[in-house]
Amino acid sequence: MEALFYIFSFIAIFSALMVISMKNPLTSALYLILCFFAFSGFYVMLDMQFLAVMQILVYAGAIMVLVVLVIMILNISKIKRVETDFHQKFIGILISLIIFVEIIFYIINGSQKKSTGIFTGAVIKKIGNTQIIGEFLFTKYTLSFEIASVLLFVAIIGAYIFAKKKF
Amino acid sequence: MSNYLILATIIFTIGAAGVIIRKNLIVVFMSLELMFNSANLGFVAVSNALNLVSGDIFVIFVMVVAAAEAAVALGIAIAFYREKGTADIDEASELKN
Repeated sequence: MEALFYIFSFIAIFSALMVISMKNPLTSALYLILCFFAFSGFYVMLDMQFLAVMQILVYAGAIMVLVVLVIMILNISKIKRVETDFHQKFIGILISLIIFVEIIFYIINGSQKKSTGIFTGAVIKKIGNTQIIGEFLFTKYTLSFEIASVLLFVAIIGAYIFAKKKF
Repeated sequence: MSNYLILATIIFTIGAAGVIIRKNLIVVFMSLELMFNSANLGFVAVSNALNLVSGDIFVIFVMVVAAAEAAVALGIAIAFYREKGTADIDEASELKN
């Protein structure tokens, strides 16, 4: 398990670095799909197989296909490439390093709460995590579920209006 | 748990650097997706360590929001390209000048 974690985290960090450093956006998109597959490996190791499948179906399937389609529509190879100047690169790396140090500081110095829930790995394996997620979605989180459906409906209309020829 | 949180922090940092550094609209969008995913990994790791499932439910809602955001953001990208003829985000400076 430990070795698998390091292998997957190496893949995830490497492909994330490739996403932001490749010149061609299509190469970045393919590396991002590799990164999503590594993340679904983490979800399997954390006893959430349902989320792993959803990660591959929704992210690597739906969203990345949309991104690749838009790259094709925009015909990105004909657009002239703009290089980032050194000043902006320096500022960006500095800001993200500050964010990194702050979060790591809180992770290391924070105290871990005692585990209070009843859903240990054995319980989740016994009931099945799809059933647990379904029960929670339709009992405790029903209102959020309904709002999510309204949000998706609004997104459909918004995408159609933005991509239309004339506003 | 802290292994997963440190990994999520690294990925989040890479995504934030990508949002600031890159100028292509599509690559900025993909860096945003990286940041979403690292937050998801943090949720799942914490709820696994505390024996809860609330974090996992939250990840599903984050996925819904990410899908809606992807549809609208790519629509905006197409409209932007049609308006400007380029995908460089520095061209969107009407509010500055």
